[in-house]
Amino acid sequence: MNKIWVFAEQVECSLDRVVLELLTKAKELAREMAGETEIAAVLLGCNVESLVESLGKYGADKVYLAESEELKLYNPSIYAPIITELVKEEDPDIFLFGATAIGSELCPTIAAQLKTGVAAHCIDMNINKDGKLVATVPSFGGKIVGEILCPDTRPQMASVKPGIFIQGEEEEREPLVEKVEVNINTENLPLKAISLNKKEIKGVPLDKAEIVFCGGFGLGNKENWEKLERLAGLFGGAVACTRPVVDEGWAPGEHLMIGTSGKSVRPKVYIGFGISGATHHVCGIKDSGLIISVNNDEKAAIFEISDIGIVEDLNKVLDQLLLKFS
Amino acid sequence: MALNIVVCIKPVPDPQYYDKVSIDPETKRIIREGIPTIINPVDKNGIEAALQLRKLYGGKVTVVTMAPPNAVENLREALAMGADEAILLSDREFGGADTLATSYTLAKGIEKLANFDIVFCGVESADGATAQVSSQLGEWLGIPHLWNVFEIEAEDERNLKVKTKVENGSMDWEIKLPCLLGVAREVNKPRFISAMGIIKAKKKPISIWGRDDLTLEDERIGLTGSPTKAGEIFEPDLKRKGEILKGSLEEVVDVLTSKVRAAGINITEGKGIGSEEVSEDE
Amino acid sequence: MQFFKFTEEQELLRKAVREFVETEIAPKAAEWDEKDYCPMELFPVMGELGINGIFVPEEYGGAGMGHVERAICLEEISRHSAGLGIALMTHHLGMAAILDFASEEQKQKYLPELCEGTKLCGLSVTEPGGGSDFAGQKTTAELVDGHWLLNGRKCFITNHHADVNVVTAVTGQNEKGRNLLGAFIVEKGTPGFSEGRKENKLGLRASVTGDVVLNDAKVPEENIIGEAGSGAKIGMACIGEVGRAGMSAICVGILRGCVEEAVKFSSERILYGRPISKLQAIQFEIANIRTDYETARMLLYYAAGKKDAKLPATADFAIAKYHATEAAVRSSKRTMDLMGGYGIVNEYPVGRFLRDALASIPSGGTSHIQQLIIAGDTLSSYKA
Repeated sequence: MNKIWVFAEQVECSLDRVVLELLTKAKELAREMAGETEIAAVLLGCNVESLVESLGKYGADKVYLAESEELKLYNPSIYAPIITELVKEEDPDIFLFGATAIGSELCPTIAAQLKTGVAAHCIDMNINKDGKLVATVPSFGGKIVGEILCPDTRPQMASVKPGIFIQGEEEEREPLVEKVEVNINTENLPLKAISLNKKEIKGVPLDKAEIVFCGGFGLGNKENWEKLERLAGLFGGAVACTRPVVDEGWAPGEHLMIGTSGKSVRPKVYIGFGISGATHHVCGIKDSGLIISVNNDEKAAIFEISDIGIVEDLNKVLDQLLLKFS
Repeated sequence: MALNIVVCIKPVPDPQYYDKVSIDPETKRIIREGIPTIINPVDKNGIEAALQLRKLYGGKVTVVTMAPPNAVENLREALAMGADEAILLSDREFGGADTLATSYTLAKGIEKLANFDIVFCGVESADGATAQVSSQLGEWLGIPHLWNVFEIEAEDERNLKVKTKVENGSMDWEIKLPCLLGVAREVNKPRFISAMGIIKAKKKPISIWGRDDLTLEDERIGLTGSPTKAGEIFEPDLKRKGEILKGSLEEVVDVLTSKVRAAGINITEGKGIGSEEVSEDE
Repeated sequence: MQFFKFTEEQELLRKAVREFVETEIAPKAAEWDEKDYCPMELFPVMGELGINGIFVPEEYGGAGMGHVERAICLEEISRHSAGLGIALMTHHLGMAAILDFASEEQKQKYLPELCEGTKLCGLSVTEPGGGSDFAGQKTTAELVDGHWLLNGRKCFITNHHADVNVVTAVTGQNEKGRNLLGAFIVEKGTPGFSEGRKENKLGLRASVTGDVVLNDAKVPEENIIGEAGSGAKIGMACIGEVGRAGMSAICVGILRGCVEEAVKFSSERILYGRPISKLQAIQFEIANIRTDYETARMLLYYAAGKKDAKLPATADFAIAKYHATEAAVRSSKRTMDLMGGYGIVNEYPVGRFLRDALASIPSGGTSHIQQLIIAGDTLSSYKA
């Protein structure tokens, strides 16, 4: 039987979105594999059994559940050896992680313990005719992408940024829960997790912003630019623009310009207003997590490189957003 | 007690020029001619962190890289920033290494140094951007490691208080030396190189170690030691789903909002709050 | 002939300075120009980087490099802010007078802080009656009871707000009745010494230029550099080489700005469906701008290299300065032409380049003065 595993990352008993996206993808991969395939989620934490249900709903046939007070806070020195041991016992074929802060640390750590390979930050995945995982990963800021295989060692590991794959529909499925014994002596560990702090933020610089509100020539006037600034303030994001917006004097300067002659950004979310989608601008946003575009021209090229498009007068969308969040 | 501090750096093609990278349709190789090779930007934060720690407790900062011979230029720059010496791990046999083989080779290079108390890496390289070498190097060295570190506070020369960035927040840690920290660019502001630093760097040693200088297992290095194999490469089609939202203005904006939330941005109606804390120079 | 090539250290220095400039200067240069603001806060930062004392030996707190390295720093800084460029170049000018002519005690006393950038240096020579007529200066210095009393007014003095001023003044006449000049170190706070009015300049606005007023300024006797009578030599030597080298480097920086802006604009500006850089008329302009840049650069680094090799380079610096300043004016105008209407809009830096280039001409002697120097040298050197 084939085994595909997904690391069920949770923080404060709440699953990261990417887990459900990965389970959905795992189901797709399972369909591409010959023979029976079991999808399992690996869940570590303290009092997290309640999460088993949604893991099942999104595709887990089985949940390996490790619970302990010591697992309340994530710690690679505790999490990694537990998972590594489990992998050694169960020998999965594929093991997927979210490329979140935690996953990006845990996944290569476990891979090093197992001496196996990882395809990092995959943007696509499929199973080839030999039944092996072919992962597509970006390099050079996304200008080049390449396939990564892990032909000889197991598991074939991969990490995926949130938002790359789409979360599927819920299904009724009662996963089998397999408790994993936790007997790690944490007494003298040289690495101690002290606390987790969720934080609020204020305005952030463009290249560090997680959400970017970008205005193009379609903004039409400085008033709309100012609305964009207010929105960015409300969302804790940053404003950005294209060349004509600087040229028109709506935006304060070139430091806010995105494109080949300006900045490249990779926020989690990019929302473009009145942007046509010229290549040099697109190059600067192509690594954004989610690209949303608002343009009243349904033929605008920007829609082709967007995840989500809204064909609407941007004035109305801006006002509605401000109304909703002010 | 003086500390032996190691910083791993990687020479990368300057990310400013990545739009000029392409694939030769004939040979299927990546064309990156004319793009200058620089120290991977966030690795400079690693150097800065090392220099600040050295200022606190004294000791020595050694910069290590695994790269082709011309990386001497980048090492010289690291020395001009203030590092004391540099090691270049360079050998044809090291070529074609993935992150596991790279981190193994780096570990063997670091182990050859008399001893080390702390190792700094940047969180990821600009070109490959796998963000894996830091954690994997920590594993090979058998020391505790943390990745995405944005704040370091020394309790004393054996104990550090560290903060890492996680989704929508941060985590506080206590870590004992020897350890490895993968630093994010928020951790500090790398110093500029001074003219005096350039002059001093001229006299600082750069050692070049090949396979025969290290004690290592041949099956763990280079292409052989890499569990991952590269398949086809191509220039991507930037096209995305392009899902057009339908419905009334209110409906469309509601869907937009939920998509933004799903992508990891915390927003609350009526007050609107951003997500992860990323403040500079603090 | 040896191939013209910067050393590895010089290349690294350029890279280091460029990084500093792109982070700390480029984003603010337009604002400094608009507000006529001299960023004094950057002098200590430049001190840490070794830029202030780039050609000063290490024993006085400098970096121990030379004038080629100085030109590299000034070119890189002036690529984005020629205004800060001239403030720094003037700081160097005063420091050069102290380094090359002052006593060991004076060097030890003044140079370290000037290298650190905790104090600013200046050189006050020009008077309302003119700058190039050295001997015709009206400012006087009289030795009274162990103090020099200086009287007069200096004008068009960049860094007139400096902490350490090298001031020239007439100390007496020689047997032929010609004025003898002395050069004095006058510190800020000296009784009778004050900054006069500040000029509202056309260009180079990130620097401060104005009058220096000496009204029985009471300067300690030991503050004379060299001896009474050596002031003309000091002033001429500093302006002739260090000053003109600086102005050349500033204009080479402006010229590189022109090249980069012209290329950027013409590749991005689409007309009739393709970038205007495809048009021959635009290419002719770009070729001219590039040629101006490269020739100015060659002349500058050639002359600076000669100075570092301790060879006489006065004529070389005059040629470099004459060419670089005029070329910078020409090329910034060309860049504006190429940009059409955008060229005159202040969001683009080209208008500033033109103003800065024009303002660079008088400093260190106008083009006519440089022509006279070049002609004088030519007529004597090429005599059959």
